[in-house]
Amino acid sequence: MAELKSKTIKTLAYRKPVIEKGYTNQSLYVNLSKSEISIKPVTEKIKEVFVGGRGFDLWLMWNAVKGATKWNDPENEVCISCGPLAGTPIYPGAGKSIVTAISPTTGSVMDSNVGGHFGPYLKFSGFDALEIQGKASGETVLLIDGIEGKIELLEVSGLPDSSYDLSIALTEYFGRGKPQNISLVSTGPGAKNTLIGCLNFTWYDLRRGRARYKQAGRGGIGTVFADKGIKALVARYNTVGVASNHPADEAELKEVGKLHTHEILELDPKQNEMARIGTTHLVTIMNDYDLLPTHNFRYGQHPQAANIGAEVYRRLFDKGFDGCWIGCTVACSHGIKDFVPMTGPYRGVKVFVDGPEYETIAGCGSNLGIFDPYTVTEINFYCDTYGIDTISFGTGLAFAMECFEMGLINKIHTGGLDLSFGNRISAMEILHQMATGKGFGNIVGQGIRKMKEIFSKEYGADLKIMQDIGMEAKGLEFSEYMTKESLAQQGGYGLSLKGPQHDEAWLIFLDMVHNYMPTFEQKAEALHWFPMFRTWFGLCGLCKLPWNDIVPEDNAETLEPAKILKHVEWYARFFSAVTGRKSRPDDLITMSEAVYNFQRLFNLKMGFGRREHDAIPYRAAGPVTVEEYESRKERYDKQLVEKHGVDITGKSTEEKVKILRRLREEMYEKLKDAVYKRRGWTPEGIPKVATVKRLKIDFPAVLELLKANGVTE
Amino acid sequence: MIKVRGKDYPWRKGMTVADLLKEIGDLYPYAVVRINEKAISKPHFETTLVPDNSEVYLIPMIAGG
Repeated sequence: MAELKSKTIKTLAYRKPVIEKGYTNQSLYVNLSKSEISIKPVTEKIKEVFVGGRGFDLWLMWNAVKGATKWNDPENEVCISCGPLAGTPIYPGAGKSIVTAISPTTGSVMDSNVGGHFGPYLKFSGFDALEIQGKASGETVLLIDGIEGKIELLEVSGLPDSSYDLSIALTEYFGRGKPQNISLVSTGPGAKNTLIGCLNFTWYDLRRGRARYKQAGRGGIGTVFADKGIKALVARYNTVGVASNHPADEAELKEVGKLHTHEILELDPKQNEMARIGTTHLVTIMNDYDLLPTHNFRYGQHPQAANIGAEVYRRLFDKGFDGCWIGCTVACSHGIKDFVPMTGPYRGVKVFVDGPEYETIAGCGSNLGIFDPYTVTEINFYCDTYGIDTISFGTGLAFAMECFEMGLINKIHTGGLDLSFGNRISAMEILHQMATGKGFGNIVGQGIRKMKEIFSKEYGADLKIMQDIGMEAKGLEFSEYMTKESLAQQGGYGLSLKGPQHDEAWLIFLDMVHNYMPTFEQKAEALHWFPMFRTWFGLCGLCKLPWNDIVPEDNAETLEPAKILKHVEWYARFFSAVTGRKSRPDDLITMSEAVYNFQRLFNLKMGFGRREHDAIPYRAAGPVTVEEYESRKERYDKQLVEKHGVDITGKSTEEKVKILRRLREEMYEKLKDAVYKRRGWTPEGIPKVATVKRLKIDFPAVLELLKANGVTE
Repeated sequence: MIKVRGKDYPWRKGMTVADLLKEIGDLYPYAVVRINEKAISKPHFETTLVPDNSEVYLIPMIAGG
């Protein structure tokens, strides 16, 4: 690697504010076009309504962009904020950052949450949020130095392109012998050459002596970052302790932190063993329940699924502490040491791979028909270092593979690549092409929505069938769960704010396996409470795993086991202890409702956020093809007869596919009605005036937007 | 002898996961049970034998995502 050389473009010295009850009460604004650095106040009103994290990001972005702003316009922003509870080292999962930008694939506001130390280091350096606007003329690094109290915009030359090497180089360069003081955000060449770029957030692993990273994957925020000409963001901070947030009630914080920490230490080994195998346990479980996406979500099961399951990764993961934030006892960010890629620029070089997690295994494994753990690991490694979202890569390539198998595209279009399911060599080649923006990988890297357009307009492929099998909604690729048999989870994906990502609601087991919510009203209630509570984690800078992936032993005896109310109580105590804002569990839901509705309105401002935008591809709801129907014929026949009272005597499979489709699509529309009503929205899916007033988000611009969209009550 | 949630429980030949859940009288609708390091999903409760000397963990919730 060439020697790093840096030139200072702009410096701002500042006095670090005293952090009060989890807040610094100021945010950092950087305009790359103008080389401007400034500090803005965070008002009490903004704290009250938006809380922090995703809420702060959305407010900053709302004020920065217009309805017509496109992802690559200079006024688009990348915002990062962690929230008032983030940076607490004695509470599990308290180090998350939330990133937002106008997305290249959805055209609307995108949010993505991520581990690593950057968000807390940013806050302890003096800033509740960071907003980056404009575009740099050269390769720029932004240093937020909380130790010396200065912000610097630097032009740095000699930097490697890959995020893997960049993380190592900049950690060493800025660490000055103390690499644990550094956390950085970067992406790689794939982010520049596709629309599905991710961001890597580092945390320094002292025991292994290396920078590790976690990804803000969804919606192409890495692509926005690369388009702005930012090479990296660097936060430098030193000692973090329980007092760093200056909590309102430190004794109470210690007490509730101890309860949750000890419970995880005691119960995780008896439950899902996340500290040992992460989320890989889900692979075989999803497979057993016909929920593991296989061959572009055609099926939910495959006989070889165990080849990429927990029993394999248990042996591959390097043992040791893998918490992406200090003191987290879930510690699920596992990795593989001394992995040797078989392809690409790191062929034959021993590397450390951060991952894989369930989503990557399902997306880049079973959904592509690949059941080789080493290929999945190699895809994971290159996606990260190229700066590409593994979920959009997997779901996008699975779509291209099915189009290839259906004959909608062929080798003339793919540059000679055989894209049939299971072709590991072709999958790797597509990924390497994404890094350079060449070949068919360049097209796959545009995401499914654009692929459908290109295949249809340029290759003459049938758009109708592609609309059915292209697993995207709102322009975002589906994450990795089958939803055909769970209407509630169809809503969990389809009615989500940013597109089909499971961080809003994961209701498959409650709905499909346990049948806890048989009516539309019950499903709507779940699609209110769960998205609101899950949103709350993003406002505060928390990970959701400690909430419901480790469950109290007496949880089954509670009134509503799915909500894990004991933990919700603890979270209310945690929030009260840090912020001094005395809160009960219901208050957490109300906090989220304000931000949730505001984001829905943000979608409306950007030209989306209506009923039509909550559509899902039919494959998410039922069998598209005769082959899919026949594969689960007994199930579908039984449903037609017993659930819907259809006489199927003498009917062909084609006819039954059509009938089932009509019924399931009707059910999804009824679900929309029920959910909109529960959320206080119009039948068009727009928050009512009364709703925005109740939630105190009735800003003049919001009321004007509603009026312009015909909503006056 | 096996251990169920840390407590000793008599083992018998041919005991399936479904048998065990019935015998201990725990009516909670478990979706997954772990035997040593292996997760067994409900569709396999009837056909999976519990080996002698194994540790059995009843997984209260699969939360996903």
